[in-house]
Amino acid sequence: MASVHESLYFNPMMTNGVVHANIFGIKDWVTPYKIAVLALLHEMSTTKPMALLDRRRLNKLILPLQQGPDLTLEQFLKIVEECCLRMVNAVKHRYASSLNKELFFKKNFILKIPEPLISFSLFLGLFMRQMLLAYNKLSFSQVYKLYKSLQQYCHRVQPELSALPTEDMELTSNEDPSAEHIDKDELDTASLHQSELRSEGTSQGPLSQKQAEYFLARQAYLLKNDENKAMSPAKLQDELNNILKFNPDFAEAHYLSYLNSIRVQDIYISTHSLLHYFDRLILSGGEGKSNGDEGYGRSLRYAVLNLATLHCRFGHYQQADLALQEAIRIAQEANDHVCLQHCLSWLYTLEQMKGSDSVVLTEDSVKIAAHFCLPYLASLGIQSLVQQGAKQGMPANKLLDALRGTDIMHWKQSLSELIEISLAQTTSIWRMYGKSTMARQQAQLLLNMNSLEPVNFSVQQNNTEAFAVALCHLAELHAEQGLYAVVSDIMKHLKQQFPPHTQHAKLWMLCDLKIQFEKAMNDGKYHLAEPHVTAISALNSTEGLYRKAQLLKALNQTTEASQILQQLQQQCEKSKDIEMTIRVMLASAELHWDSSGFATALPLLLQALALSRQHNLQSLTSETLLHLAFTQLMLGIPEQALVLVQDVLESVLAHGSLIDKGRALLLAARCQMALAGAAVQEHRLTAVHTLDEAAVYFSQLDCKERMRDIHYLQARLHHTLGNISQRNKCSMLFRLLDQELPSSGMTVVSHL
Amino acid sequence: MAATRSSEFGDLVQIKKQLISITAQCKERGLVHSVKWASELAFSLDPLPLNEIPPAPELTEEDARDLDALCLAKSYFDLKEYDRAAYFLRGCRSQKAYFLYMYSRYLSGEKKKDDETVDSLGPLEKGQVRNEALRELRVELSKKHSAGELDGFALYLYGVVLRKLDLLKEAVEIFVAATHALPLHWGSWLELCNLITNIEMLKSLSLPECWVRDFFMAHMFTELQMIKEALQKYQSLMEAGFAKSTYIISQIAVAYHNIRDIDQALYLFNELREQDPFRIENMDTFSNLLYVRSMKPELSYLAHNLVEIDKYRVETCCVIGNYYSLRSQHEKAALYFQRALKLNPRCLGAWTLMGHEYMEMKNTSAAIQAYRHAIEVNKRDYRAWYGLGQTYEILKMPFYSLYYYRKAHQLRPNDSRMLVALGECYEKLSQQVEAKKCYWRAYSVGDVERMALLKLAKLHEQLNEFDDAAQCYIIYIQDIFSCGEQLEHAEVSTALRYLGQYYFKNKLYDEASLCAQRCCDYNDVSSSSAAHSQLRDANLSPFGKILILNPKQVM
Repeated sequence: MASVHESLYFNPMMTNGVVHANIFGIKDWVTPYKIAVLALLHEMSTTKPMALLDRRRLNKLILPLQQGPDLTLEQFLKIVEECCLRMVNAVKHRYASSLNKELFFKKNFILKIPEPLISFSLFLGLFMRQMLLAYNKLSFSQVYKLYKSLQQYCHRVQPELSALPTEDMELTSNEDPSAEHIDKDELDTASLHQSELRSEGTSQGPLSQKQAEYFLARQAYLLKNDENKAMSPAKLQDELNNILKFNPDFAEAHYLSYLNSIRVQDIYISTHSLLHYFDRLILSGGEGKSNGDEGYGRSLRYAVLNLATLHCRFGHYQQADLALQEAIRIAQEANDHVCLQHCLSWLYTLEQMKGSDSVVLTEDSVKIAAHFCLPYLASLGIQSLVQQGAKQGMPANKLLDALRGTDIMHWKQSLSELIEISLAQTTSIWRMYGKSTMARQQAQLLLNMNSLEPVNFSVQQNNTEAFAVALCHLAELHAEQGLYAVVSDIMKHLKQQFPPHTQHAKLWMLCDLKIQFEKAMNDGKYHLAEPHVTAISALNSTEGLYRKAQLLKALNQTTEASQILQQLQQQCEKSKDIEMTIRVMLASAELHWDSSGFATALPLLLQALALSRQHNLQSLTSETLLHLAFTQLMLGIPEQALVLVQDVLESVLAHGSLIDKGRALLLAARCQMALAGAAVQEHRLTAVHTLDEAAVYFSQLDCKERMRDIHYLQARLHHTLGNISQRNKCSMLFRLLDQELPSSGMTVVSHL
Repeated sequence: MAATRSSEFGDLVQIKKQLISITAQCKERGLVHSVKWASELAFSLDPLPLNEIPPAPELTEEDARDLDALCLAKSYFDLKEYDRAAYFLRGCRSQKAYFLYMYSRYLSGEKKKDDETVDSLGPLEKGQVRNEALRELRVELSKKHSAGELDGFALYLYGVVLRKLDLLKEAVEIFVAATHALPLHWGSWLELCNLITNIEMLKSLSLPECWVRDFFMAHMFTELQMIKEALQKYQSLMEAGFAKSTYIISQIAVAYHNIRDIDQALYLFNELREQDPFRIENMDTFSNLLYVRSMKPELSYLAHNLVEIDKYRVETCCVIGNYYSLRSQHEKAALYFQRALKLNPRCLGAWTLMGHEYMEMKNTSAAIQAYRHAIEVNKRDYRAWYGLGQTYEILKMPFYSLYYYRKAHQLRPNDSRMLVALGECYEKLSQQVEAKKCYWRAYSVGDVERMALLKLAKLHEQLNEFDDAAQCYIIYIQDIFSCGEQLEHAEVSTALRYLGQYYFKNKLYDEASLCAQRCCDYNDVSSSSAAHSQLRDANLSPFGKILILNPKQVM
């Protein structure tokens, strides 16, 4: 009984069971707000004398006004007022006069385009002509409706406009005696059920197709390039729901909703939106420009591929695998090589994510992509190969050559995304090889580079994974040099740029934790390091285990530590993680030291040395050499040890972290001291100097335990040299530190 | 509980009197559908003697004053000149006049809304067209409501207004109040029915104790797909004396349709058509049943009949669509479903049926669109989800269709067809473990097509799980033979052959020969010949030990 006249409710847009969203090709229509914009334009073109600054401001205002969502008259006037005070009254007056019934119906004067305006801008002329066209298409009842809504639009704002001394306004108020009465009632309801009505009020009216398209494009761009500037997820979803309510056929909104819900890691809505989008797209693909059947099948293939990526994103590898297989099958049937190529690149990505070897797949992918002239996929494949190669110890020159080769192509084709990745990758590779200066330089290069992408909406893209990686490296490099203030600045920036819920946030979280852990360990505050271990394990289990072993070792729980290290060793062998393997070996060697098994540590260290040399891991090589030297020192061959230390010292001082530098110098001093027992005085003097240097580094790091050791050694040296005052000073410093620190029980000699 | 109910119903005379008086009241207020429901029910009861017929309610002072205006307005109202009716009623004080005044304002708004949809300013504004009168009505009604001046009818109208404004929670409250104030008005119950989404919500409402409540509960159970409870309710209502009511018969028939008890439903619909030959309501459901059973002549007869009655009804169009579909003229069928949609775009069944037609025509993209529309109208339409799944399965995208089947399964957790479809998809994706689970579950919830066990058995066979496979085949055969009627299941012979071979392998020759003999009854050539040879071997084997020692020769 509710719906009378249901037979009248037919949909003129529907043919052959398919609803066409826009049969007339009208993307825009006349609304009261549009008329207000037109009034502004009109005033701008007719008022001749205007301050240049005002005019410039107004000109800048026009575009957002015309493309944005409909505003209320109040908002509109306020915006104009901010730009140009004089304009407001003129616009107001003109607008009010458009309410004149006679004029409105007869002459439609506001839509009449003053001559200079058309000529002065192509874009604005187009807009005005569109408006005129849309207006001319209106039927009588629609024009009447427009008039009514115009009236309402004005009434809603102010008594001001109606108070303007025009006789037609009286006419309208006579005509509609209930208007005020209604207003009052509405106020009543507002007080009655405020919340509901408010929610009704905030959701703006429908956007025209143009406005909606503009809105979607802008938000999608912001989501891609700088998420922080986009609307908050909840608000964006509200807007999208609003658009979809008014036009369910607007498929792009579903896609944006998919992106938006991925942002908040909502698998249900994102799957739903993705599938809905493709269900809709399949239709438009069928009747679109791309020849019928081809376009339809194509969107099917990409639908499945997108589903696969979605599952990949959420870590559902099995599901992703199934979807990918399906995509590959369909693409094969349709002989679509481009799609197959995309599938292949996802396939090796998936294999990598699952942690299995995918070199062969990747190589195939690169070859075929090159064959089909798909530069993007090809160099993506090459980059992936480089990454795998670096992990498996490919020669450095080959890797860097490959990267340079692709770089040339990237610049030629202006693939800015790949350039960024390539730079970040070079940073990582240099870092892995232990060349901190090169790494720093590459990271700076990336951060200072101007993107090749056009800058839209005054937002430059800087939220890709490449940026995150480079920034993390920078943070770690600075932490190594003890510049913790800088580190905290970088972290702050990262937190802001990649909020914790986003995809790449894990990178900086892990980095941050590692830095804090290292700091706590260096300071000897093991109780602070402990919670970090748990947090690291949550992000990366291998790393977490390693840190746990380190912590246990520092706490003298050797049995547990060695168990964990054995476990880690097995894991690393399985996953072929060379860096970690070497680290584990070093840590095990240190454990052997603790039990005075210096001779047993040797084979381990030699193995580690061979591995690190084979993979060009310079920093680890020097670390291993230092370990070896220490072992030799302990085994009573200080001559050999000193030679070793002096060999490495140069590279450590050039590339190593502060603590490494200090440790190397300390070791060198101890070797010298050991030698001095037999030989001449000068060895002792050099040892004092070396110790002084080491003390500088340690004091920069505020590493008290090591400082205590140094003071002890210094005191001993001065004692033997006979500098009593120096000796006393050093022993006092030692005593102070020793009182401050809890006695570790460990003698000074037993660790590196 | 049941006893008290039946005693309530015992006084059928009282109920009849109530029905007559409510019919008169609704008629005065132009609530045509409620009038129809009440009078249909009244018609099914025995006629009253003259002295029992309730007198017209006495007029109050106010009623008398408004009588002329009301008369005039009602005549305008009947002629659909709602604004005019409202104008002449604006000063009236009586409850009746007030309701008619508000109701005609509401209907006028609705009418204008529908008219405006045709010439709105732009395509995007289409969804925005709304009944402008609603907010004013709400304001006025809420004032009166808080003053406690609304009677049952006005409360009902207030609820409708709230529902149209999407204030569903408030609407439910008001409708519950309306049923308390006037339990006999079916309209309020029906509106309430549309707003209740699950059983918990239903249980949480406090509804008036009245015989109408039983009708409501039965209707509600049908809506919530709790068919067993619904049938029980309707049965008790029939026993209580409403056996002749066409309303109840049709509802029971629809319920049987929902649980796919086709024979019962067909029987009831035939009875319904005998009692009420010019009925158009529910006939689309009837035609669905005829379609499923491929009863061409009956469907054709029904279609002819309905066209004669009224060819511009949604139901008629659906029936004709089904008719053409059965005759494999799918283009024409789609055309008629489109016509149905033009008559009522919110007609859910037609969208889904049109999707099916496009599927038949291999126009998958149009089918997807049609199903999507159906889902947009009602997210809980499991047939549309299922249809989407099928479409993608036809496009050879089993993984993609999993999502849709899962949705359908969520909506009908106890429907074996979705489970079987899910199982098939998993099987195609070589996810045998999941597939097995699906098939087994499909069997446990009561398999309508009796295919789940067979598929499960074959799956076990593939995975070389012979014992499980044999077990499944045994249950399958027991199932087939226990249901009595001999269906033309070609698969029975396959099952028997497998069982024969299985027993043979396990040296249970008696069982093997029994199975082989049964298998020979079927005229499926390959399996019978296999059975013959096996029978020979089975008979031979006790004597020829070589065969047993070397089973490879046998196989």
